[in-house]
Amino acid sequence: MTKVKVATDWLAGCAGCHMSLLDIDERIVKLLELVEITSSPVTDLKHPPKEGVTVGILEGAICNTHNIEVAKQMRERCQILIAVGDCATFGGVPAMRNLCGTDAALKRAYIDTEPVVDGLIPDSPELGKPLEMVTGIGEVVKVDLFIPGCPPRADAFWYALTELLAGRTPIILPPHLFTYD
Amino acid sequence: MTMVNITINGQKVSAPVGSTILKAAKLASIDIPTLCDHPALVPVGACRICVVEVTGQRTLITACTFPITEGMEIQTESPQVVKARKLILDLLFSERNHYCPFCQMSGDCELQKLGYRYGLDHFIYPTYTKGFPVDATRKYFFMDHNRCVLCGRCERACGDLVANHTLGLRNRGASSMIHADANVPFGESSCVSCGTCLQVCPTGALCDKRSAYMGRNIQTEHIKSICNRCSIGCGMEIVTRGGNVLRIDSDWNGEINEGLLCKNGRFDPLYDERERVTQPMIRIGGKLFPSSWDEALKTITEKIGSANAKEIGVLASSNSTNEALYLLGQLFCKELKATNVGLLNSTAPKLFDKPQGSLADIEKSDVILVAGTDPANDQPVASFFVKHAVDRGAKLILAGGKDNGLAPFATMIIDDLGKAVEIAERAGNPVVLYGAGVTEKGANALKKLQGKASFVAIEPGVNTRAAVAFGFNNEFKASAAKVLYALLGEQGLGSEDVLKDVDKKAFIVVQASYVSPLTDKADVVLPTAIWSEQAGSLTNTEGRVQKVNKAVEPKGEAKPDWEVLSLLASKLGKKLGTSLDEISAKATQELK
Repeated sequence: MTKVKVATDWLAGCAGCHMSLLDIDERIVKLLELVEITSSPVTDLKHPPKEGVTVGILEGAICNTHNIEVAKQMRERCQILIAVGDCATFGGVPAMRNLCGTDAALKRAYIDTEPVVDGLIPDSPELGKPLEMVTGIGEVVKVDLFIPGCPPRADAFWYALTELLAGRTPIILPPHLFTYD
Repeated sequence: MTMVNITINGQKVSAPVGSTILKAAKLASIDIPTLCDHPALVPVGACRICVVEVTGQRTLITACTFPITEGMEIQTESPQVVKARKLILDLLFSERNHYCPFCQMSGDCELQKLGYRYGLDHFIYPTYTKGFPVDATRKYFFMDHNRCVLCGRCERACGDLVANHTLGLRNRGASSMIHADANVPFGESSCVSCGTCLQVCPTGALCDKRSAYMGRNIQTEHIKSICNRCSIGCGMEIVTRGGNVLRIDSDWNGEINEGLLCKNGRFDPLYDERERVTQPMIRIGGKLFPSSWDEALKTITEKIGSANAKEIGVLASSNSTNEALYLLGQLFCKELKATNVGLLNSTAPKLFDKPQGSLADIEKSDVILVAGTDPANDQPVASFFVKHAVDRGAKLILAGGKDNGLAPFATMIIDDLGKAVEIAERAGNPVVLYGAGVTEKGANALKKLQGKASFVAIEPGVNTRAAVAFGFNNEFKASAAKVLYALLGEQGLGSEDVLKDVDKKAFIVVQASYVSPLTDKADVVLPTAIWSEQAGSLTNTEGRVQKVNKAVEPKGEAKPDWEVLSLLASKLGKKLGTSLDEISAKATQELK
């Protein structure tokens, strides 16, 4: 039996959701018997393969134009897209900047911060451009399953993946795994 | 009672006529979600989360406001209902900053619970589109408008329950905001910081500065007790975590207050920064040194034992428990025959032998005469009752005192109490609230209303009724005391005048919770527990005896006020009871 291909990536997040995925502990051995993780920020290969994967997992919010590119590429290359964590589902901590506006946030961070002398807001063309509004991934691509939580519990990851492997698509996680407080 | 028969989700339910759909469902244990509704408030149907499907009705109906009729058929979780609730939630969550993890209410929030219940796992509509201000101008709690869902609970609590009418709503639609008075910062408004709005807020919009982020409800304990800040005797819940008091909530089932508390009772006790007395101390060579309980009590016993009855002076604070005051009376007045005993605060004049009314009479009255007392400042919950009655149409007559906190609510302010009595005589159902400020002449004038009016003494101090009942209302002569026992408890010393006349050579014993000028002069200091640390009972201004409960351990070596006196009595060889239950029963018996 061929293994199911899974790719993960992160956007404007803190890597905490990936850490929570690793927190499934020894169950990861069983998982790797059934799936192949083609790419992820914590493996050597970073980008989902061109030939595509079955499941794509994204952590983090949409904060800049680069995040949109990554999200769109993942969407194009996967059949089932899962948004994990409060940032990917709701906007999360990065979305706090919406309350003051992106310009004010950048100014505070790069120019007005106390020890900074002659500060400069990074604007290299290689960098993504910050967006006016930080949002969840659902704002820019179609998401098939949302798993909120900061981070989602390891059991929530395990539940979602094993359900998918069993051929069932969870729409909303059961109450004990569905939590964002 | 006439019952109405209806069907909810196919289940036959009968409920009293006049019930709303929500009440009828509750009787049948059928759960309909709510957000703007609160058991203590008048329902308004603002949030529409409680919508249900009623056969024959054109649209979905709000269960919290719609009365039931015979034969009504209701669906509470039909696909149409669930769809509507999800839409309402999506709109509510999108309106402001309802992102949960960095909110202090996360885990206890009613909006969040609804999100879980209806599977809200991402935002459908753009959110965070507009920032709102945070108003932290009040000392004890702040309002983050970004967390507000405009349910109006706070506004209704302020108007309907507290009758203060500070809060209102301004602007329209998505720009609507809760505001105070004519849109002034809360700290500069007519707000009395009673915190009722804080307690009813379903989200993190209103937030207690002291206990924020210090524990979710599930991690805390709620211990019911009685407030000891004034003589009203409001029910409260002491919220603790790990042996620390986080905050004070009001008790919705409190017999007198029914969920009301004031700034003095809800917040001030937690901001008391006076230095505590944590161990017994004895003065040796002009300096106080720590000692054991046994040594301290032995020193006192020797002095008291060798003094004659006339040389003993006793001062009591009315914030002590019934039990402590009972023991103090039994030990010093009955057993040791001391007569030079007194109370640290003044008392309302005794007009009649028997109590003539209760605080509940204020609600039923048409004219309220307030004389010699300022409840708005000293017993705020009583002033809420008065304001509530004024809202209802009752007339408020203030006898003197334009500075009185109730002056802005008064129908008339009359300097001459005699004239005020004449007006009250013409009322159908007058009630008189009188305090220590009533003179002898005034008291005689008030007596004219006997039989007509309901009289409620608003005692200054806390447990004044019990203190008086146990004999502590005599004229105390400080200069006569050679051995002075001061049961100070938590009382701050407003009694420096008392001290002035105390004999320099007098032996002074102070039983106190806090360091004060009197503990500095004491020969023996006995550390005593505070409101949150001891059990017992208190008598309120109506004479109602209510139990107080211990929420946390006494600090250091401090002991409950009654226990200190019980130990002292034993040391003196007087058997006055050793267990709280035994002493409590005796004290309560005596108070009857």
